[in-house]
Amino acid sequence: MTRYIVRRLLQAVPLLFVISIVVFLLMMNMGDPIATMGGRSATRPADRLRLKKQLGLDKPLYVQYLYWLVGNDWAKVDMDDDGIAETPGRRKGVLRGDFGTSLVNRGKPVLKLIGERLPNTLILMLAAEAVIILGSLLVGIYSALRQYSTLDHLMTGILFVGYSMPIFFVALLSMYLFAVLFKRWGLPYLPTVGMFDPKVGKTASQVLLHMVLPVLSISLISFAAYSRYIRSTMLEVLSQDYIRTAKSKGLPRREIVFIHALKNASLPIVTVIGLDLPLLLGGAVVTERIFAWPGMGRLFLDHVSRADLPVVMGIIMLIAVAVVVFQIITDVTYAWLDPRIRYD
Amino acid sequence: MSRKQITFTLVCLFVAVSLVLSGCATAQPTEAPVEETAPPEAPEVATEAPVATEAPVEEKKVATFIWTQEFDTLNPLYTNMWFSEITQQLWLAWAWNFDENANPVPYLVTEMPSLENGGLSGDGKTITMKLRDDITWSDGTPLTSADFLFTYQMSIDKNNAVASAYPYDQVLSMEAPDDTTVVMSFEEPFAAWQATLWKGILPAHVLQPVYDAEGTIDNAEWNLNPTVGCGPYLLAEWESGSFARFVVNEAYWGPKPKIDEIFFRFVPDDASQVAALLAGDGDLGTFIAYSDVPKLEEAGVKIQSVKSGYNEGMFFVINEEFSPGMADVVVRQAIAMSINRQAIVEDLLLGKTGVPASYWDSLPYYNTPPVEDYPYDPEAAKAMLDEAGWVDSNGDGVRDKDGIELVFDYGTTIREVRQDTQAVVQQDLAQVGIKVELQSYDADIFFASYDQDGPAAKGEIEIMEWSDTSNFPDPDYYYWYCSEIPTDEYPAGANWQYYCNEELDELFTLQATQVNPEERQVTFQKINQIFHDEVVWLGVWQDPDLWAVGSNLQSYKFSGVTPFYTITEWDLAE
Repeated sequence: MTRYIVRRLLQAVPLLFVISIVVFLLMMNMGDPIATMGGRSATRPADRLRLKKQLGLDKPLYVQYLYWLVGNDWAKVDMDDDGIAETPGRRKGVLRGDFGTSLVNRGKPVLKLIGERLPNTLILMLAAEAVIILGSLLVGIYSALRQYSTLDHLMTGILFVGYSMPIFFVALLSMYLFAVLFKRWGLPYLPTVGMFDPKVGKTASQVLLHMVLPVLSISLISFAAYSRYIRSTMLEVLSQDYIRTAKSKGLPRREIVFIHALKNASLPIVTVIGLDLPLLLGGAVVTERIFAWPGMGRLFLDHVSRADLPVVMGIIMLIAVAVVVFQIITDVTYAWLDPRIRYD
Repeated sequence: MSRKQITFTLVCLFVAVSLVLSGCATAQPTEAPVEETAPPEAPEVATEAPVATEAPVEEKKVATFIWTQEFDTLNPLYTNMWFSEITQQLWLAWAWNFDENANPVPYLVTEMPSLENGGLSGDGKTITMKLRDDITWSDGTPLTSADFLFTYQMSIDKNNAVASAYPYDQVLSMEAPDDTTVVMSFEEPFAAWQATLWKGILPAHVLQPVYDAEGTIDNAEWNLNPTVGCGPYLLAEWESGSFARFVVNEAYWGPKPKIDEIFFRFVPDDASQVAALLAGDGDLGTFIAYSDVPKLEEAGVKIQSVKSGYNEGMFFVINEEFSPGMADVVVRQAIAMSINRQAIVEDLLLGKTGVPASYWDSLPYYNTPPVEDYPYDPEAAKAMLDEAGWVDSNGDGVRDKDGIELVFDYGTTIREVRQDTQAVVQQDLAQVGIKVELQSYDADIFFASYDQDGPAAKGEIEIMEWSDTSNFPDPDYYYWYCSEIPTDEYPAGANWQYYCNEELDELFTLQATQVNPEERQVTFQKINQIFHDEVVWLGVWQDPDLWAVGSNLQSYKFSGVTPFYTITEWDLAE
């Protein structure tokens, strides 16, 4: 198993290299970072020229990529525009753990920026994922056991209503209903935006309270897909001979469903979860924006709209690494769930 | 322990760790000055019941301002972002503020330099400022002319990648003969000095050591975490993407503010901002869409419209080589008369603003006598086009002349009201036989420079629309100089209209050096007339700042330049 994991990790290196080149090339065509530095007016011409040079945006594409990858502390930069490169570069490059500094939040290291947002995204997305998985398991298993019952039809109907609605609509609707209108009607209400009430402070209970609506919105649109998936795999497993054998042996129904059926039905579900988990790091772009949740999704959106290449590259590379790692974890989980699977 | 139990425990642990991380890890605490750690009337929030024998603690007054954009940086030299710039009246200071009528109000200076008090030399080339002698930074260090000199030096230092070196790059020399005197000299009289100089002063005693050590202040910690300021408030905490908290500066040399804490919450979504204001989760919001005004007013939120110089308008590519059709002044005049701009204001902006006849509409002094706008008269526009030979000769519904069809690209950014406006304009112009093809772009693409293949900068969009202003409250601007036309050799050029009018060039050059307002006003009469006759720019709507003020906020007053200049007087209802 260890050899397998090491081999997979080594295979990921060229993959990540290719991803970095492709994303870098795409980002270079995403817009002009200096264009939005002028605030509500256009950046002045003299400032455009100076900033391009000072931020290294005047260099050829391959040089900019090289600096991003290996840094420029071995080269000198012409900062004062006298034609002589005399100022040593300060960047160490990604290979030495320096993802650079943000072009928007000037001077702020990319890793620090990501580090500030990642925990916020994790608590939101993990909570949402937990709600989705637990809820879907309950609904999916019930629907499989009580196929075509009234409750099965009812739950399926409700879930598909949620699934068919765009998340921004669900998010805004829930905000207006549970925060604005409930307050107006004198009912207990939820907060609209942010992570806490400034008058109370950032306590765990405040964060939990402010998580309710975003988690609800994310969960509602994901419930249907997961629960239907679980329902169909459970139905397939429940019709297998070994389940019939277990029943005829007189095993308790609970043990049959949760030990024998669910474990075998879990393999395809683990694949889906394994694919979804790394994407959690990217945050929920729309939900975070609407609920002003300071996570990775918003970080990405805010900085991609201002063509902040170092930050966008940092986020994408982080997600790429996460995808690789979670794929390996998924493979390992397969072996744990199904002893027939061996990688050595 | 079974594998199931292990898995369950791990999941619980993961969630718990994330919660803890979120609860305590992401804030950017300042190097807490003493006043902040133990403010007598601002205790840490009372989450536990107070002891019965103690006197009741007065509840902290916290005003929540909702900002749709987060500050990029707080160093005034490194940002042109409006949302960052206007906070400087809270924690930093400009040499002078501007009141609700955009008149300067001395702040760090004892009086505004003028010819009468000798602060302005007769030739307009030298400005002498006298500073107050009682101003200090929040750490107790006196704020002196050395800080002004340092600010100037940092802004023009080539090792600092500042957002804009203007207007300090216009300064010939700067001296600080004593602690309270700053003398600036210019090669030519610099008319726009009031509106452009000293928007934020840097603390030399904090940043000079950084510069000495690193050769630049680009990465100074103070830029993102200014522990030292000189305004009534002081940054206490800024959590990326979430909030910034400003608490009272106990060492402030002016009147003590009535509100204990200003809490900026960053809410990027417009609809969420409105919901938060409706739910009472915010005391102040801005950049409100006109379509949201009625429901906010209905809920008791007051809307304040403040002139900030901005007007939404159309910029035309006026160059035979790029667009022979648009280069014909008759076509531009016909466009001005064919678009029902008043209807756009009534229907899309609910009649809550007006149509600007002049680019300097917000500065009435420089639009005197007021320019008369083109009337909405599509029939007259058709007649003008007919007379000029622009007729639909091939029956395709679009006028043409000498094989040139009146088909134009009309581009703007993705703001919703702009896209609605585009649709209305397209219909209006189609009625007179002018076809426009609509384009909309993200701002960083639309405003990209010539060498970044920006469509506007390359002259590919014959009708460009955005909201702009001069150096408000100064009328000076630079877009229309012939020398600003972008080329391969000068890709940064700002004249994206590719319009060259030598008479206009001379007038713009002249007004920039006229420190006598009466003489400058006469020059602007001529500029305004050319703008009108040549339809260099066509106003669509006046674009003032809209502030949504919650019912709890009291004694507020806004300025279009320095909105928080009276922040110490603002209060919250009990």
